[in-house]
Amino acid sequence: MLRSLIIFIGLLQIIVAICPDAQAQQRWGPLDEGDNFLIQDRKVDSQESDKTFGREDSIPDPLEPLNRCFYQFNDKLYFWVVRPFSKGYNTIAPELMRSSIQNFFSNLCMPIRAVSCLFQGKITGFGEELLRFVVNSSAGFLGFQDVAQQALNIKMRDEDLAQTLGFYGIGPGFYIHLPILGPFSGRSLFGWAGEQFLNPVDYFLDSWFAVLSVRSYDWINRASLRIGEYEALKRAALDPYVSVRNGYWQYRENKIKE
Amino acid sequence: MAPRSLFGILFFLVLIVSIPVLSGEPTEQIRETSDKIIAIVSNHDLNRTDRAEEKRQLIRQAVDERFKWDEMCRRALGRHWVKRTQEEKKEFRDLFAKLLERTYLEKVEGYSGEEVIYEGETIDGKYAVVKVEIVTQKKTDIPVHYKVVKDGNQWFIYDISVNGISLINNYRAQFNSIIVKSSYEDLIDKLRLKVSED
Repeated sequence: MLRSLIIFIGLLQIIVAICPDAQAQQRWGPLDEGDNFLIQDRKVDSQESDKTFGREDSIPDPLEPLNRCFYQFNDKLYFWVVRPFSKGYNTIAPELMRSSIQNFFSNLCMPIRAVSCLFQGKITGFGEELLRFVVNSSAGFLGFQDVAQQALNIKMRDEDLAQTLGFYGIGPGFYIHLPILGPFSGRSLFGWAGEQFLNPVDYFLDSWFAVLSVRSYDWINRASLRIGEYEALKRAALDPYVSVRNGYWQYRENKIKE
Repeated sequence: MAPRSLFGILFFLVLIVSIPVLSGEPTEQIRETSDKIIAIVSNHDLNRTDRAEEKRQLIRQAVDERFKWDEMCRRALGRHWVKRTQEEKKEFRDLFAKLLERTYLEKVEGYSGEEVIYEGETIDGKYAVVKVEIVTQKKTDIPVHYKVVKDGNQWFIYDISVNGISLINNYRAQFNSIIVKSSYEDLIDKLRLKVSED
């Protein structure tokens, strides 16, 4: 099921890559004097890259109607299930406990970050990730405490496989907003699929139900630490769907540049 | 003895004078505004409910002095800006400024002793970026970049990016999507509705 979904999206990604012009036309309309004004302006302004000022302002979104449906679903899921549940959970579990649990799961995902560092030639990052794992798993009580950052000031490297693909010049493909899982680019979906092989949780547990439970718990625990962010975004946005899409895209592009 | 102490005083003076110079003009001006706002937010006298409006007014004033609304509007509308008449531009400016101010006020009012660390700046002609790191009480760092443009001897903010996400770029994508899908008039209606929400 998951495999056929990935193949389907992969095929679509290829089709879109072949006809990018139609995409730009559809989203921005034909070129006119307004564009010249911005192109001129762009030359003066070195702070914004060519990409962010002009027509290529966002990631292609050929599945927008479908994505908007899934976005609506996630929006309801958040307000009807995730938020009330998190509020209850937050009263039982103090913040310190929740962030310790988040540390524990983050520590387990070391292979994803280490491998991504290695493939991008970030040897220091690779070494630091290994060191962090050793230190946090022992002195940090199985990773519940991030002593590597607190005591040694070695911060977690926020690297993943999708960034690695971006590092090798692979384009983002198009935007996909999946139910429950949220925003992805074609590239990050492939990265995410690959990471499933690097996530140790799957190797420790033998039944799919156990894996799903543990993953869901990790997910809801993370969400509980970020209650309020989505509300703020929605309050400031005129079109929250576009705001999420653009925010996701900018965030990911920035991560690849780093 | 006297010459030596004179030298000491001189050295001390040079030190005081040179510290602000090290961080540069754009950073200094951003710091000035940001310190001013933090002082207002952490002033306990202003936290009484009957003075809430006065407090908001003070913050709004401090923000107004540092933000370049025209530049923000021009960039947020992008290619649709040139097609607007003077009246339309003014109307848009008023509404968008209100929305940004409200968003900013709500962020700032949640201030609870976060530390602001100035990480440096890059200047390129009349444009500059002031890099700041906001350290929350949970010890997570949020990188914030203030994009500023020089006018006279003052630097004004025309964009803020948080965690690599530019605010103006985000609004530009939304505004463009609305205009292309329906119309500029629809955008103004949506803006007006958003600003009137409480």
